[in-house]
Formats: sequence, structure tokens, C-alpha cells
Amino acid sequence: MISVYRSGTSILHRLPPGLKLIGFIGTSLVIAVTTTHLLEVVAAATFVMTGYAAAGLGARALTSQILAVKWVIVFMLVPQLLFLSALDAVSNTARVVLILVLAALFTMTTRIPDLLDAAERAASPLRRVGIRPESVALLLGLSITSIPVIAGFAATVRDAQRARGISAHRVTFAVPLLIMSLKHADDLADAVNARGIES
Amino acid sequence: MNPDRLISFRGVSVDFDSRTALEDVSVLLDQRRIAVIGSNGSGKSTFARLLNGLASASDGEVRVHGIDPLRQGRLLRRRVGFIFSNPDSQIVMPTVAEDIAFSLRGRGLSRTEIDERVSRMIDTYGLADHADGPAHSLSGGQKQLLALSSVLVSEPELIVADEPTALLDAANTRRISNHLLDDMHQQLVLVTHDLGLARRCDVALRFDHGRLVACGDPDTVIADYERSHA
Amino acid sequence: MFKQATWDVRDTTRVAAFAALIAVLGLPGALPVFGGAVPITLQTLGVMLAGTILGPWRGAAAVLTLEALVLVGLPLLSGGRGGAGVFVGPTAGYLIGWILGAFVTGAIAFSGSARPTWWRTAAACVTGGILVVYAFGIPIQALVTRLPLAETALTSTVFLPGDLVKAVLATAITLTLWRAYPRAFSRRISPTRSRGAGVTR
Repeated sequence: MISVYRSGTSILHRLPPGLKLIGFIGTSLVIAVTTTHLLEVVAAATFVMTGYAAAGLGARALTSQILAVKWVIVFMLVPQLLFLSALDAVSNTARVVLILVLAALFTMTTRIPDLLDAAERAASPLRRVGIRPESVALLLGLSITSIPVIAGFAATVRDAQRARGISAHRVTFAVPLLIMSLKHADDLADAVNARGIES
Repeated sequence: MNPDRLISFRGVSVDFDSRTALEDVSVLLDQRRIAVIGSNGSGKSTFARLLNGLASASDGEVRVHGIDPLRQGRLLRRRVGFIFSNPDSQIVMPTVAEDIAFSLRGRGLSRTEIDERVSRMIDTYGLADHADGPAHSLSGGQKQLLALSSVLVSEPELIVADEPTALLDAANTRRISNHLLDDMHQQLVLVTHDLGLARRCDVALRFDHGRLVACGDPDTVIADYERSHA
Repeated sequence: MFKQATWDVRDTTRVAAFAALIAVLGLPGALPVFGGAVPITLQTLGVMLAGTILGPWRGAAAVLTLEALVLVGLPLLSGGRGGAGVFVGPTAGYLIGWILGAFVTGAIAFSGSARPTWWRTAAACVTGGILVVYAFGIPIQALVTRLPLAETALTSTVFLPGDLVKAVLATAITLTLWRAYPRAFSRRISPTRSRGAGVTR
């Protein structure tokens, strides 16, 4: 799993992850709603750049995040130029790119285990409707561990079908993959039960 | 008989999907290492799964160290650890340390005690270099060692291992089986097709078509089994 | 309307496995369609299958689980996308649509008799997997990009042929799976299960 986390000790790194997530989503919405004119776009861009600087991330990190969303830029800009004025098209695209780059700042300054812990804490009100926060953590953990296992199943099915001379595609590929994945799920349930965890 | 290690089956049958998986099994066991052998579909896995409540008896009575699996399932699962063939289906948390710690959830242990127990396991089973790494990047043998650590960390009294070496190469089979048969002090029920491992146990049970057909000295039981397939 | 059986560990692991499966369908070349000539994301196929196989609640839970992992930063959407950004960008509405889409797909597919029929399954995939997803996706895309709704809808039609192909595939896969492995359809295994995990072999 590629972790995009950049270690650091800045104020952004040290904020509690739950609070930080709410803050980032709130800020994104503010930018999405209020930014229309070129001047406002410039102000928002300055704000985002200040955020990167506060996190100890330089121009290189900012550039690589903008490059990461280059296809969003293309797919947004082309239809916008067809239907809207050039100035509107550019400022609309810039606004969305700013929001995406700001979201990347959140991802880069927050460790995934901390967020999973926060998710478990955030799930505690669900206890009232009969869902235990531990099962939420178990669900997220099981999903992460199952990804490489199921990716391995996909490779196995592809190889097995190639060996039998079947071109691996569509239904003949998906059905064995689904069966292996669901059997894996049932085996996992046995293992969780056998470990004496009631979730 | 040693009451702390007593496993008793009295007239136990298991029906599943209108098929009898196990029929009228009665046996008393208190040995440290118990081997279970038999061909595929003979009922040996069902026998193993009864021991920690993964399967339940349709008829008869099972007692494991005095515990009734039907009424005290939760307690039983805490006392009995289970190891499966495929380590991939036993790893439930993303990193090695998290997976071992998962077994200690909900047992009222303090954070420091959990950490201490987990690091002891990681050291014992040579997983220290991978403690905070993703569990699925381990080799097959290391994954099975992780599965074993995740079971042993909760200090069960009995380990049930259902073909734990089936997917391992010779070197890893030796590592895992040495841990189970020699290093561990807990009682062990080992379901295996590897007759070499079964020979190292103190007693062997042989199942055939859902019935217990032999129970006794491993060399005798295995010789008889090999003759029946000659 | 939907009788929710008690949720046990088996449901948790199936939901987790399906979340992982949808992530795997987003890996490049995970499932080649027409020799990989059509560059379509297969994750919508996974969303439809979550509904037709797991049913409304578990299906929606599987999609929600995947999206929770994406939100915390795992790059699990096709093309290696992930992080909080996808929930504030132009695709945000489609992701919300996936959750409700899986639910609606499951609700339609699981209505009526136990055995899935091709017409009910196809109707479920088109309604849940396409109509519901577009109903959330297009307006929110228009809102985020500030391109008028009609123009946004027009540009989105390029994805419609691909999505119809996926609905056909999802229907064929669901009906084949029913013949190959009926245990997959989780609501139908619950009556045989009693205490704890029950006997599975």
C-alpha cells in the first residue's frame, strides 16, 4: 500500500485527526461556495500555499500534487471551454484544483492508523443502534488485509484460465474470483470466531 | 487421567446438510500431543472444529477441559486456540503487531500489558523486523508463525491445528511443527496428512467415513492406516 | 420491508471481502473487458454485484467501507485515486451515488423469489447502478464545476455505453454465480445457521 504520508512535526501534523478532517472539509466547502472571481481564486490559492508552508511542505510537494490531478484539469477544462467563457472556465478549473490540492495536504499530514483509531472513536455513538465500534475497526482492518489476498486470487484465476487456453474475460473470470473471495470471507469468519472475538 | 487436559466425547454425532459428518464418536483423551489422521472427508476436521465450538454436536456430549461447548462457547474459545491451513485467512488486521494485539481485545487488559505481550510474541517467533510492517508482505512460513503467535498470545490451554503445514514448504513445515510439537507446553490436537508429524505425537486417532476407527499408539495406528491403503 | 437478520461475524467478513474486491477491480488490468480496448472503470461493476449478491444493507455497507478507506487516504479508486480530495471534487456525487446505488440494486434484486431472474437482476443493475448513480453524480458535478446541469449531463453520456455493458455483465455474472455457488447469496444461508458459526464442513 502506498502511503503518501510525509512525516513532520508541524501544527498540521499535530492536530487531532478527526478535528482536522472536519476542518479540511469545512474549508473546502467555503472555497467551493465563495470563490468565483479571479481575485477570490488568487486569495484561495494564497491560503492553500500558506497551508503547505505551515506544514513544512515546499513548492515541490505542491507541484507534484497539482501534477497528480492533471487529468482532472484536462477533463474539466475542455468541456468548460466549449460551453463557457475562457475566464470562467479557467477560474472554475482552478477552484476545483485548489480544493483537491488542499485535500492532499490533509492526506499528507495524517497517518492512516491515527485516522482508523479516530474512525473507531467516531463510531462509538453507533453503539446505541446496536453496532459495536470494535466491529467497525474490525471491518476496516479486514478490508485492508483482504485487498492483497483478493488481488492474489485475481492473478491465480487469470493464470489458471490462461493455462487452460481460455482467454480470461468477463463472466468466466469474475465468477471464480467471486467464489474465492466469498469463501475467503467465510474462512476469515471462522478465524475471527476461533479467536474468541465477538463482534 | 489428567483432569486439566481431559477431552471427552460421548456418543457424538454431527449432521450437516442432511449428511452425517461424524457418527457416534466416544473417546477420552488427556495426552499432550494428539494426532488426528484419515482421508479427506473422513470427519477429522469436524472433530477438530467441535473442540472450539466452530461446529456443534447434533447428538451426544462434548467436554473440553470440563467446558460444555454448547453452553459456554465464549469461555471455550478463549481457552482453545485454532490454527487453519491457510495463513491468509487468519490474518485479520493490517500489521503484524495489530494482528497479534487483536486477539487480546475485550479482555480487560491494559494498553501496556497488551504491548508487552505482543512484543514478547514478536520476539519469540522472530517477527521483530516486521512488527509494524504489513502482515501480507510476510512469506508463507512467517505468516503461519504470525497466525501461531496471534493464537498463543491469548495463552490458551489447548491448541487445535487443522493441517497447519499443508501449504508450507519443507523448511517451514519443520519450523512450525517443532514449535507445536516440542517448544510449546500447551496441549495440542494436530489434524494432519503428514504421517511423519503424526508419529511424533503421544496418541493418534484415525477417522474413516465419519467414524473413529482407531485410537492408540501412533506407530500402530499409522501402520494400520498405511496397510489399508496399500 | 427488508427483514434484517442479526448481523454476525460472517456478515462483517463478507462486507470486508466485497470492499476489497471492489478495490481490486480498480487495479489496472484486473478484469480485462474486450481485450482492455475500452477504458472503463470496473468498480461500478463491483457496486452492482455488491447489491445483487449481498443484498441492500450489506451491499451498501461494502461500498461505504471502501469509501471510508478512500477517505482516510488509501488509493483504492481506479487510477490509484484516494484521499479526502475525491469527496470534494467533481466525482463526489458519483461516490455518494454508489452507496445508494448498491442499496437500490440490492433492494430490487432481493425482492420477490429467492432465485434471481435475469429481468429483475438487469432492472436492479440499471436502476441502482446507473440511474441512482447518475442522479447524484451529475447534479453534484455541475455544482462543483459550475458547468450548467444540461451541459454536464451531456458530457456524462460518454460513460453511458460502458455502464450499460457493465449492467449486462453484472446480470450474467449474478445468474452464473447462482448456479455455481448459491451459498454466495447471503440471505439464503442464514436459515441453516444456528449457534455461533455453525457447522460449515
